[in-house]
Amino acid sequence: MTALIQLKNISKHFVTDEVETHAVNQINLSITQGEYLALSGPSGCGKSTLLSLLGLLDSPSEGTYHLTGLDASSLNRNERAKIRNEKVGFVFQSFNLISDLTVAENVMLPLTYQKGLSKQTMMDKVNDVLQQVEMSHRTRHFPSQLSGGQQQRVAVARALVNDPAFILADEPTGNLDSKNAEAVMQLLNSLHQKGSTIVMVTHDPRSAECASRQVEMLDGQIIRDSLITQTAAPISAAI
Amino acid sequence: MSWLLDIKYAFRLLIKAPKFTALTLVVLIGGLSLSLFTFSFLYAIVYKPLPLPEGDTVYRVFGNHNGHRHANVAYEILQAMQQEDVFSEYGIWQDTSVRLSINDAGKTIPASFVQPNMFSFSRTEPIMGRTINQEDLRTDAEKVVVLSHTVWQNDFNQDPNIVGKNIRINETVTTVIGVMPKNYNFPIVSKLWLPLPQQLQNIQPSSKQQYPIYARLNHNISLKQAEQQLSDAANSIYQLTYKQYDKEEGELSIELASFPIAQTDRDGSIVFTFFNLIALSILILACINVGNLLLARAIERQKEIAIRAALGAPQKRLTLQLMWEGIIITLLGGVLSVLLVGALLSTTDSIIKSALPNNIPFWWNWELDAPTLLMAIVFTLLTIFLASFIPAWRSANQDINATLRDGTRGAQSKKAGKLSRMLVTFQIFLISTLLLMGSVSAFIAYFLLNVDFGVNYDRTYLASFNLQKQEYPTEQQQRNFIQGLLTELEQSPQITNTFSYFFIGQSTLKIQTEKDINTLPKKIKTFSIIGKGDFYRAELLQGRHLSISDNENAQRVVLVSQSMVERYWPDEMVLGKTIDVMLNQQEQTFTIVGVVANLADGSSFYSDKISEDEMHLSGLQFSSSYPRIIYKYHDNEQEAEEYFYQSLFKFNRNLEPNRLEPASYSSDMMKNIAVIVAWITFGSAGFALLLALTGIYGLTANSVVQRTHEIGVRRAVGATDRNIIQLFLKHGSKQLMIGMGAGMMVFSVIAIAFQSFTENMIPPLLYVALITVVVTLLSVIVMLAIYLPTRKAVKLEPSAALRYE
Ligand SMILES: Nc1ncnc2c1ncn2[C@@H]1O[C@H](COP(=O)(O)OP(=O)(O)OP(=O)(O)O)[C@@H](O)[C@H]1O
Ligand SMILES: [Mg+2]
Repeated sequence: MTALIQLKNISKHFVTDEVETHAVNQINLSITQGEYLALSGPSGCGKSTLLSLLGLLDSPSEGTYHLTGLDASSLNRNERAKIRNEKVGFVFQSFNLISDLTVAENVMLPLTYQKGLSKQTMMDKVNDVLQQVEMSHRTRHFPSQLSGGQQQRVAVARALVNDPAFILADEPTGNLDSKNAEAVMQLLNSLHQKGSTIVMVTHDPRSAECASRQVEMLDGQIIRDSLITQTAAPISAAI
Repeated sequence: MSWLLDIKYAFRLLIKAPKFTALTLVVLIGGLSLSLFTFSFLYAIVYKPLPLPEGDTVYRVFGNHNGHRHANVAYEILQAMQQEDVFSEYGIWQDTSVRLSINDAGKTIPASFVQPNMFSFSRTEPIMGRTINQEDLRTDAEKVVVLSHTVWQNDFNQDPNIVGKNIRINETVTTVIGVMPKNYNFPIVSKLWLPLPQQLQNIQPSSKQQYPIYARLNHNISLKQAEQQLSDAANSIYQLTYKQYDKEEGELSIELASFPIAQTDRDGSIVFTFFNLIALSILILACINVGNLLLARAIERQKEIAIRAALGAPQKRLTLQLMWEGIIITLLGGVLSVLLVGALLSTTDSIIKSALPNNIPFWWNWELDAPTLLMAIVFTLLTIFLASFIPAWRSANQDINATLRDGTRGAQSKKAGKLSRMLVTFQIFLISTLLLMGSVSAFIAYFLLNVDFGVNYDRTYLASFNLQKQEYPTEQQQRNFIQGLLTELEQSPQITNTFSYFFIGQSTLKIQTEKDINTLPKKIKTFSIIGKGDFYRAELLQGRHLSISDNENAQRVVLVSQSMVERYWPDEMVLGKTIDVMLNQQEQTFTIVGVVANLADGSSFYSDKISEDEMHLSGLQFSSSYPRIIYKYHDNEQEAEEYFYQSLFKFNRNLEPNRLEPASYSSDMMKNIAVIVAWITFGSAGFALLLALTGIYGLTANSVVQRTHEIGVRRAVGATDRNIIQLFLKHGSKQLMIGMGAGMMVFSVIAIAFQSFTENMIPPLLYVALITVVVTLLSVIVMLAIYLPTRKAVKLEPSAALRYE
């Protein structure tokens, strides 16, 4: 199987007040289609930075990044935007819904940046993914009128609406209570089961158990990378 | 004493941010000074009570006949005033200008013929000698004069023994009987006071002369009541007698106006309101800017405030804490503005007074007076309210939870965004209105500067006379005087041309059509002239000049204006044609002997030369007791003026011109005022534009920064740079449209009012052009103000934008 994502000697340095932080340091990683990767490690070890690099939200300081065979460093701003739009779905810890837009509008947002979609097609897709996350009864609400768990489910719907090649989730359950967290985890699980590629940052070992592969980081480097061959049992069984 | 700590803290914050403090101060001082100066300057002209004891009870009395003020109905007014007990004191006067000779030199000075009670009326005692008494009014009395402080100081070196000395006024030996205190020039600009001549004291019912009247209103009667009573009384007298004395038919009413209002001829309050509204809008612009700057600082402190609130600080205390910074800086700005405006007012005062020493009404004094200081307080409080209280109150009222809860950008930023958008819209509205009005006033100023009166003012002087019936009872005597004076003037090598003209009235033309005879409605301004006026106005285009043979015994002749020829006889030979004219309710037949160039309509600056028609009759066939004499000098103005007086006094020692001044005087005055007003308007509009630009930029930049996170989210889901910029421009154009739309609506209302005020001087197409220019200019500016910060925000990597707090 060809690698969907291929990182070679990727590094990201930040310089603030003349202090250099190696948030990501010489990482090699390849991810294949259909994998469900759980990324863990102590706070500040570079997980979110790595995710940003994967999602083209940031550019690496060194190294090469191949995405579906394309060299990411050769892409201009517009091409990168197009890839984020068509191939990547993001789920953030803090939801990052736009407060001025309704649930439906938030979910539709990625589609509005694609060309040639009719209003009806967009609405159909939106309704479809909202159904998947069981939020179709709240389309006209504003994010501030939803609970945290509901907001995150909307965020997941937004990540799914454009049929992305892979989903990047940065601590999607970090701001949620265990019940809501479980619902979101099941959502991701079922997506994986349907064949989605997922990279998820998590601190929670139980969440990580659902994944097909576990990667652990420390100080910007990968210290453990283990494949779990068997499909994990549903999370409810673990509790 | 916790608030003392707060003040100290606020001071420290201000000192720590010198750039912010300086910028805020500049904006504040600009806005406050501009509105304060505008108010004070215009208030002194229009509304300030006369600087006399009980100045607020002093009025002028006017007759209002068929909608025209200055109707010549002094008799009826005085009768009514005698009948009705509404005034405690009153009197009449007559303005004039006299020739004061000192050794061999002479100068022309504004003076008044007054009644003895005028001095007590104005509650002012002489600093030396006495004022005019009843004895002085007698025809056989010794000639006496009361000097103003200015004349005493400038022309007599403050001679302490001046009282009793003889001086020469109009070449007549006159005894000085008193000197008035400094700055006393009642009724308006008088520098000398002479006894009211006998013939003016008993005004006859037949009199059509106009007399200014001063009066003090009784305390127990309101202005409206007084006007009503006087109007009723005067009108009933008028209705009984107007036919008998050959006066025009119509209702007579009486109007009271303060001296300042009367002087500005009712336009005063319009100008006052208009300019103060503009200045106030600029102050509001300044307040929005300062408020925005303070709000940005309050937002920086948002977390601190939320923590304080969470710790239990009461709402009031928090608001006040946030306000101190604004209060301190506004108070400082207020004090500095008052000092600046004080300096500006006294400079303006001395510049205007030295430029126009004889023409400034005595109540036009510009200084830091009580109303100005009061207004300074009002403006400062308004600024504190708009620029400090509202932002502070908003910040203190924030949702504590929302601010403390990390990462949740809820309704709070939404509300702030809405306010900022509203402010941007409002600023666009204000500045588009101001720009539109500014460009119209610039156009008017330009027009006034280049207006063509159809007159060549070069080296010409104008003298106007009032020939009294007692001295010049017959028309022949009046003509003799004018012809004699003109002939005498031409003897001087210094005087090259002379002529005399007077305005007879409006006449109408009768025209024979196929069916019947019609009187055309169009009024024709009719003058009567003696001599050739070519050098000055109405150049001869066809035919001949009027001459001395066009006298009483000859046929009636007329010169018609080119506009009349084009209007009535476009393809005809007009010379030799006879026309029937209704003049002063009499029909007369005239033979056209010449065609002359058009004149501008003297009653309005705005109308076109060709829109009005004129006829010029022979002064030997029609005369008037109010002639004007125009002379042109060779090269020495002084010498010519001296010669004029010598010639005049040869004919009549007691006659002095009502005015003697360069013929261009009035138009020059108007042009100078237009230039000054244009510069003030320009300066203010420039300042307003600057304020609006920085304000709009500040607000949009701020709201773009506040939406950085949203930009990050949008980019994360695939928005390109272009998508984002387009989105922001689209939002901006909505504000632009609403703001400019409202601005144009207000402007249209003003423009319609303006159009009738200026008698359609401005072609409607110009309004369209102005609107296009202003709309384009503002659109470019606002779009840039949105584009620049947005582009900057877009340049940020999405990961950084998402982290942005
Ligand atoms: N924009 C930035 N500027 C400077 N330093 C940064 C920036 N982004 C991340 N860092 C630094 O890089 C390191 C890795 O940060 P990162 O956010 O990737 O950590 P993380 O593993 O996601 O931690 P957590 O589990 O707490 O979210 C940290 O030390 C952080 O301070
Ligand atoms: Mg992280």
